[in-house]
Amino acid sequence: MERRTFMEIIGAGSMILPPLACNFRRPVAAGPTFLDGIATTCELCPNKCSVLAVVKDGHITKLNPNPENPKSRGMLCARGNAAVQQVYDPDRLKQPLIRVGARGEGKWRPASWDEAFDYTAKKLSDIKAKHGPEGTLWSSTEGFQEIFFKNLGQAFGSPNVMRHPSLCLASVNLAYSMTFGTVPSFDLLNADYVIMSGANRFESIITPDTMDLIGGTMERKAKLIYLDPRFTVTASKADEWYPIKPGTDMAFILAMMNVIITENRYDKAFVESVTVGFEQLAEHVKPYTPEWAEGETEIPAQDIARIARAFSDAAPRAVFYAGRRSSWYQNDFQMRRAQALLNAIVGNWDRQGGMVPNQKIAKGEFLVLPWDDPKASRVDEVEKAFPLASAKDGVYLPLRENVLKGQPYPVKGWMIYKQDPLHALPDQGKTMKMLDQMEFVGVIDIAMSDTAWYADVVFPESHYLERTDPIEVMPGIWPAAVYRQQVVKPIHDTKPCLEIAQGLAKRLGLSDYFDYTIEQWVEAEAKELPVQNGLAHMKQRGVVAVSQPKYGATLNPVHRFLTKSGKIEIFSERLKEAGQDPLPVYTTPVQPSGGRFRLVLGRKATITHATLTNLPWLHEHNPENDLWIHPEPAAKLNIRSGDLLDVSSSVGQVRIKARVTQEIRPDCVFMLHGFGKKSPWLKRVHNVGAADSVLLETAWDKVSGNAAMHETFVKVVKV
Amino acid sequence: MREPVWEFLIVNYLFLGGLSAGLYFASALATWIQEDGHSAYPRIARWGAVLAPWPVSLGSALLVLDLGQPFRFWKIFFHFRWRSPMSIGSWLLVAFTFLSLAYLWSWLEQSERQSLLARIPEKIRTRIPVRVRGWLDLDASAWRRNLAMLGFPIAVGVGIYTGVLLGAVQARPFWNTNLVAQMFLFSALSSGTAALVVARLLDQEPVELKEMRFLYSMDITLIVLELFIVLPYLIHGELSSLAVKHALAQVLGGPFTIVFWMFFMGVGLLLPLAIELYEFKPVILGKGTFHIQPRWALTAGGLVLFGGYMLRYVFVFAGQATGFR
Amino acid sequence: MATKTLKTAQSIRRFAMVIDAKKCINCKACVVACKAENQVPLGVFRNWIGEEASGEYPRLRMSFDPEQCHHCADPSCVRVCPTGASWQREDGIVLVKEDDCIGCKYCIIACPYDARYHNPETHTVGKCTFCSHRVDRGEVPACVETCPSKVRVFGDLNDPKSQLHQLLATRRYEVKNPQTGNGPQLYYLL
Repeated sequence: MERRTFMEIIGAGSMILPPLACNFRRPVAAGPTFLDGIATTCELCPNKCSVLAVVKDGHITKLNPNPENPKSRGMLCARGNAAVQQVYDPDRLKQPLIRVGARGEGKWRPASWDEAFDYTAKKLSDIKAKHGPEGTLWSSTEGFQEIFFKNLGQAFGSPNVMRHPSLCLASVNLAYSMTFGTVPSFDLLNADYVIMSGANRFESIITPDTMDLIGGTMERKAKLIYLDPRFTVTASKADEWYPIKPGTDMAFILAMMNVIITENRYDKAFVESVTVGFEQLAEHVKPYTPEWAEGETEIPAQDIARIARAFSDAAPRAVFYAGRRSSWYQNDFQMRRAQALLNAIVGNWDRQGGMVPNQKIAKGEFLVLPWDDPKASRVDEVEKAFPLASAKDGVYLPLRENVLKGQPYPVKGWMIYKQDPLHALPDQGKTMKMLDQMEFVGVIDIAMSDTAWYADVVFPESHYLERTDPIEVMPGIWPAAVYRQQVVKPIHDTKPCLEIAQGLAKRLGLSDYFDYTIEQWVEAEAKELPVQNGLAHMKQRGVVAVSQPKYGATLNPVHRFLTKSGKIEIFSERLKEAGQDPLPVYTTPVQPSGGRFRLVLGRKATITHATLTNLPWLHEHNPENDLWIHPEPAAKLNIRSGDLLDVSSSVGQVRIKARVTQEIRPDCVFMLHGFGKKSPWLKRVHNVGAADSVLLETAWDKVSGNAAMHETFVKVVKV
Repeated sequence: MREPVWEFLIVNYLFLGGLSAGLYFASALATWIQEDGHSAYPRIARWGAVLAPWPVSLGSALLVLDLGQPFRFWKIFFHFRWRSPMSIGSWLLVAFTFLSLAYLWSWLEQSERQSLLARIPEKIRTRIPVRVRGWLDLDASAWRRNLAMLGFPIAVGVGIYTGVLLGAVQARPFWNTNLVAQMFLFSALSSGTAALVVARLLDQEPVELKEMRFLYSMDITLIVLELFIVLPYLIHGELSSLAVKHALAQVLGGPFTIVFWMFFMGVGLLLPLAIELYEFKPVILGKGTFHIQPRWALTAGGLVLFGGYMLRYVFVFAGQATGFR
Repeated sequence: MATKTLKTAQSIRRFAMVIDAKKCINCKACVVACKAENQVPLGVFRNWIGEEASGEYPRLRMSFDPEQCHHCADPSCVRVCPTGASWQREDGIVLVKEDDCIGCKYCIIACPYDARYHNPETHTVGKCTFCSHRVDRGEVPACVETCPSKVRVFGDLNDPKSQLHQLLATRRYEVKNPQTGNGPQLYYLL
């Protein structure tokens, strides 16, 4: 560069933004040109971070964080940055495909949309004629357009609309709802003392919790106590890490409550004014002393007592963090309940640095023509087996059992949106059987997932950067409404979920229920946003946010909690009525024996969902998964890092390389999710590493029906 | 540690560049030493002159091939960056190559010059102006001594430069000492001398004892000098900062230990030295008669060349594996 | 210390970076953002995060170490470049003029921080540019902007109002391997 032009550029730069380093906020472009990018919302994980997409000559060159969103705290993680590669992935789904060979053989016939719609509608109608609309299953993972898919299933008349929470956070949500009548957020930005068990917040990023806990632009304040059988990044950042014996978290919590109650460290005023059932709890936790808990958890009694005291001293700026992931054990709901009770008795509810009920942002609703309720009851019999669970979300693993048994009625058609059941559900072999017994399987996805590979019709969905989605409200301490707008036109022959639903609806005679465009839908939603010109605001900035937290609204004496008693329910009558323990009762978990190990799972910041392992920029950091095993058992089994292992459970066997590491308990092994893919179109991870879902056994939490992912014992043999 | 970015092409170049420098140096010395108004060792001088231009030319070609953008190599000559050893070295290489060609020309007989000129295709030859043709055919034998004189500093420069190229990199503690430049210089001169031993023995003309005495005394001196550099290099390194000590671990109990001690020090340096000393014993001790056993001499010469190559191999690869971390 | 050796004239900017490695969670956002922003090929990196683990179960320690070009005050890569393709702007940013780079790789070897790489597509040398194209527009480098835990602070050493300047004025810090003599300008908070 010529020196003169260089100086000119420097001069110009300094005129625009003098205090460069301090200013993380980028000026938002005015007018029709998007100087700083088109505002949209990331879709690579459930966090929905705000993004500014930079487009040059119709090509997305970069995604930058949009600092307007207080939830994403001005960041975009590795996954969000890598999203561009999904759009330009040469192996992505580019047109509808109809299977011609045997299932899983990989013979496909490219089809026109009309053909694919006709074919699918015919199959679904046939199944409806034979088995009724309840003979179809509609399963999906959350996403802004999931509503259209769900609506199609419901309008079709199927009661079997299966959402993802029972593979995710259903037990957490239920436990907190049963206690507080709502699921709160945790004010990690202001907390002084945080206890986390298993929620590996520095590797499984949740906004704004991860950033608030690490400090972000501020200094980290909170003392962090972390329990996990594995030495994770979170463990490395914690002030204290305890490799707790798996399955004993509830013993730790009960002992904490024992100390806090025996030593009168609980918040008496709070307990008396807004809770019910404290006396029963005090009686209930008496036997659960720290000394007893030491025997269960392998955490020294004096540490448990010390942590309990420090926790109650720091309260209300102290939280036992709920975490957010699938259940671990079959008592998961009760363990989460114990957490909720511990939080309740120190009075951290609705206070700065404690648990805070979520604020929302008002948004309008597009009213659709209502359909008739389905005549049949759900195939998972959720109302009967899990009366407390959310009936509209369903329970996935019990559903699979029933479908395989054909009880109470046969389900022969399966429509899947944005989900890869072969990897999302434990026991891949069983899921495969469920697929096999289906007369028809249709998948809507952006890439050829393993489940898509075994489907009959594959509908290519437009990537999130290629479509406009409904406005989504994300409740929280810093709530935000976010908008996803089209950044580039679809580069292949793909459609957004709404248009796919409309295409099918037309052929199924359900067009009346889908008689609108995405623009109309969004416009209705934007109308009631608490800003002027909601839609224009959203198009320009992508976010409507409340940046001031509100504390204490529910501490008003006239406030009624959404529970049976109208108070925070320490003792739960409803649980008692439902035949469950009204207070969390501890039972010692079975531990692996006979040289077996407990298989534990977790995430990494670069890969959350099974689908992300194939992105080159992420794959580069995770070329293959391996089995973490402690040096002590490894020495006994003569295993060294890099050795090939056969790992087997009662339901499956995989071959995987060993990683001998001290960063895991000797009685556990660990592997990352998202490898060992069967679909050759996911070429970087096709037959690379191993899939955890092959090994995981079917188990669920007794109260919520949520899949319990840590109940599998495996045998490890060197090849 | 990261993967090496300089590999065998660079090893070859460093060896070949040094070899040419050594050939020129030995030849120039043989030219410069006079006996009865003539070069004392004309055959050695001529062999050196004939061989010298070629290894360096091949080496330079390899150097260009090693570039990520070989077609941009000319850009080096449109910049002079006096703080960059590579920039200085490139100019030195060019000067040396031209000089060695001129020196070679001065050693050609008239018949050889003319037969070379005759090989230029007719069409081109006739287009060369008569004056230039006459100039090309000029008998330059009178210039030999001056060219030799001129060549000493430049050949030494090229020999040293290969070491400076590495030694000037402060990021690689294995290299970052002035001893590397001297080690490479003595190794280069010794390689050139050894190459002349081999060339002279394979020559049809019977070798004279006088010539071998000249080459042997030179090679023994150079090998000893090289040893005097290698040992201080190791000792000084061990007494140096931690980074240098860690770097030296590459050859003192690291991946390059066997190559360094067995192939470079043992087979490439001490063994030929022992052979040469054994053969040269009568001259040193003044007892008995010095005579040459061509097989031993050839072995010694070959081993010196091998050792020179190994030195560069070890330094290029081991050096890149070191750093401050 | 090294700050003092730099020109302090008000008008001249001197870009540098402060890194608070304790906040780093090794999430690779900076690495991927850099790849996207600068079209860095697979297999080579302009920035990276080192990992160091130590201890004995269950007393373990792990630390992360984000690193990239240090944009040194006296960069050895610039010194050894035979064509002047490696050069330094007046504001301290060390760049490579791709058209002048012959791919000799001498600078890769001369960098004590191993911050340069041979680009397998262009066959020239690549490195961190502090996103000079963004900086010239008044933005911060992509890695700085995208970081979830805000490990990196970019700014002008000579601007007393900058966050960078203030951090260096109030916090203890170190630079890596100052003994290389390069005058590195990545400041690691202690």
